[in-house]
Amino acid sequence: MQSSPAIERLVSSLKRLPGIGEKSATRLAFYLLGAPEEMVAELAESVGRLKQDTCLCERCFNLTDVSPCAICRNPERNAALLCVVEEPADLAAVEKSGSFRGHYFVLGGALSPIDGVGPDDLRVADLEARVHGGGIEEVILATNPNTEGDATAHFLADRLRKTGAGVAITRIAYGMPLGGDLEYADHVTVGRSLENRRQMD
Amino acid sequence: MTRLQTEALLLRSVEFSESDRIVHLLTPERGRLTAIAKGARRSIKRFGGSLDLFNHLRVQIDKRRGMARLEGAVLIDPFLSLRAVPGRFALASYLVELLDRVAPEAGAPSDLRRVFAFALAALRALSEADVTPGLRALLELQTLDVLGLRPELGRCVHCGRAPVGPGPVAFHVADGGVLCGACASRCDAPLLRVHLGTLRALEQGIEFGTARLSRISWSPQALAEALELVSRFQRFHMGIQLRSEPFLDQVVGSPPESGRPPA
Repeated sequence: MQSSPAIERLVSSLKRLPGIGEKSATRLAFYLLGAPEEMVAELAESVGRLKQDTCLCERCFNLTDVSPCAICRNPERNAALLCVVEEPADLAAVEKSGSFRGHYFVLGGALSPIDGVGPDDLRVADLEARVHGGGIEEVILATNPNTEGDATAHFLADRLRKTGAGVAITRIAYGMPLGGDLEYADHVTVGRSLENRRQMD
Repeated sequence: MTRLQTEALLLRSVEFSESDRIVHLLTPERGRLTAIAKGARRSIKRFGGSLDLFNHLRVQIDKRRGMARLEGAVLIDPFLSLRAVPGRFALASYLVELLDRVAPEAGAPSDLRRVFAFALAALRALSEADVTPGLRALLELQTLDVLGLRPELGRCVHCGRAPVGPGPVAFHVADGGVLCGACASRCDAPLLRVHLGTLRALEQGIEFGTARLSRISWSPQALAEALELVSRFQRFHMGIQLRSEPFLDQVVGSPPESGRPPA
């Protein structure tokens, strides 16, 4: 299709985004062309400011507009509890649960030797410094419950114990997801659900 | 092959598009194969937690055209204790990466079954092992052997005579084996110096089952020689640098500096 260079440039930029192919990019470009001017201007401004207004929190390494972030600055939160997650999206998921009122630490991924990701590629040293800095009573390892996430949790627990952090180290529980079906669950998940069973209130 | 039901070991799982995964599997029937697991990222029910690294699975694969498609996977064993000890995780990652890069995609059925049986036995043995540099050297050597790259440790690769001591004998990395004194003296190529005791321990390591490897004891000198020999042999004959090697070096211990020219 022959179209203006401006449209072609936008299509070419949009299709670099994950999950967007040529057709979706073209559809979005034509939608924006027909959209109200204010909406397009707002979108352009939001995209333009995304990088310049976003930074990493110096304490928890979450994405924020001001460092330290709102969670780290909040005096109502329990600074003695530190929840370690792999990525900012995991922090958002824990925060959305509304069940945790402590502080966070974003590790920056999980150990994955096959992909060349070792401890030096994660914020392991920053985590140790944070824990050794004092004031923390419990570190909750909330890395993903897959091979890499579990291995990372064990690696961190070993490191924190060996360096004499002297804090309680816990791991998020394993078990059946809400709305899950025992019949379709793998035997390890069912087994772990039984191991981690709780008294009915 | 159109439909295949088989056991498999998961060597690698890569996110693909918004909802799919590409999995690298090692199977006893077809060796190493790559398949797409449609919907694996989006649906919890479809594959559950089965598409995780090191998992031993029973899979159904459909390969009517193009890339093979993973239709189902049932978890047999996730080898959970590999995750619990950093040394086990590091060595298992290294072996799995080696298999993922080099295991055959086709070949004689008996060879493919042998590679699969070895991989399964190695992960089982590692699940209970105290991972040491000696175990690393022997498991790596066994992996090379099962992939068809066995160094000659008992007879001179040039003339067939058994090298004799006392003192260290020569190992020719490029020619893949030891040299007797006479052949070594005529050789211009760089040679490693290895004691006969080290060579015997390595030969024993190849013959032993994976579960018995930790019974072999090493002197510090023999261990250093064994690690260097296996590391150089692997690098020369495979020509690849594994991404998981730095983590393994960090957690389990590295071979002696192999950048220096051999004696």
